[in-house]
Amino acid sequence: MGNNKPDSDIFELLNTDVNKGFRIVVERYSSKLYWHIRRLVILHEDADDALQNTFINAWRNIGNFRNESSIYTWLYAIATNESLAIINKRRKNTAVSLDDLGSFFANSHEGSTWFDGDEVQTKLQNAILQLPEKQRIVFNLKYFDDMTYKEMSKVLDTSVGALKASYHHAVKKIENIINND
Amino acid sequence: MMKELKEISNKNPFKVPENYFDEVKRKIISSAAFYNSERKEKSLYRKLRPYIAVAASIAVLTVLSYTAIHILSTAKDKSVFPEITLNEFSDNYLNDIDILTLEESIGSIEPDVARIDINTKDIIDYLVLENIDINDIYEQL
Repeated sequence: MGNNKPDSDIFELLNTDVNKGFRIVVERYSSKLYWHIRRLVILHEDADDALQNTFINAWRNIGNFRNESSIYTWLYAIATNESLAIINKRRKNTAVSLDDLGSFFANSHEGSTWFDGDEVQTKLQNAILQLPEKQRIVFNLKYFDDMTYKEMSKVLDTSVGALKASYHHAVKKIENIINND
Repeated sequence: MMKELKEISNKNPFKVPENYFDEVKRKIISSAAFYNSERKEKSLYRKLRPYIAVAASIAVLTVLSYTAIHILSTAKDKSVFPEITLNEFSDNYLNDIDILTLEESIGSIEPDVARIDINTKDIIDYLVLENIDINDIYEQL
């Protein structure tokens, strides 16, 4: 669901009282952005880092924001890039593989503390992890965030046609993986 | 049992520590305030920085010019860059960058994009989302 109209108050405030405007942005978007990030990076600690980086990045560039039409898509774009940065950094620095969530969560303290899914949920999350990175993002934004393709095209700087096709194929792939498991 | 995606509940399996959101919002706001105060302290340094940068650039250019002149006057007359094929360059380049960077690069290849109509661009975008090697895509065009 798009959030352009409800954010018109923030637009005003960012011009007149940027500190107050930013506090409202944090209040309104921290939870949504956290869950978008968490679904990509999986680990809470990494999601926490990426979330804070997202808002600091946004704060540093709040002056540039005035040229954007939507706070919602602007923030999601920053959050997506921060998530990918964390994923790439983790890939280079650690031997921990998150390709199989089931065994990761069963065998680690992190897993049992911060993941509470049943078998079906675990299968779904594992299946999503099999998708190419960018397709995962498309799938998550549509399936979990219910984002419109038009908004998604601004977040990912990709055409609506490509996103629709990508989502459609992601659904098929995930269904195949789950049903063949 | 065949499961369609829509049958799987949207229940969120990920958990967060208690009070996490209240705490993180506080942290973010105070980081923003801290960033503001840091910027104020550094303003004198910022004012001088352009001049320091210019002085440093002149120093570096002087050293480089001297070195370049020295090398050129003693170098033999042959190319110092090894021949590299486009494929080898592309393979190395693609191994080192991630797919989002690649997508951004596509936007800057102006002459090729100008030749391609909107439908082809849609197709290219889709293939990149599927992790198809961009080099393979361009070979097919």
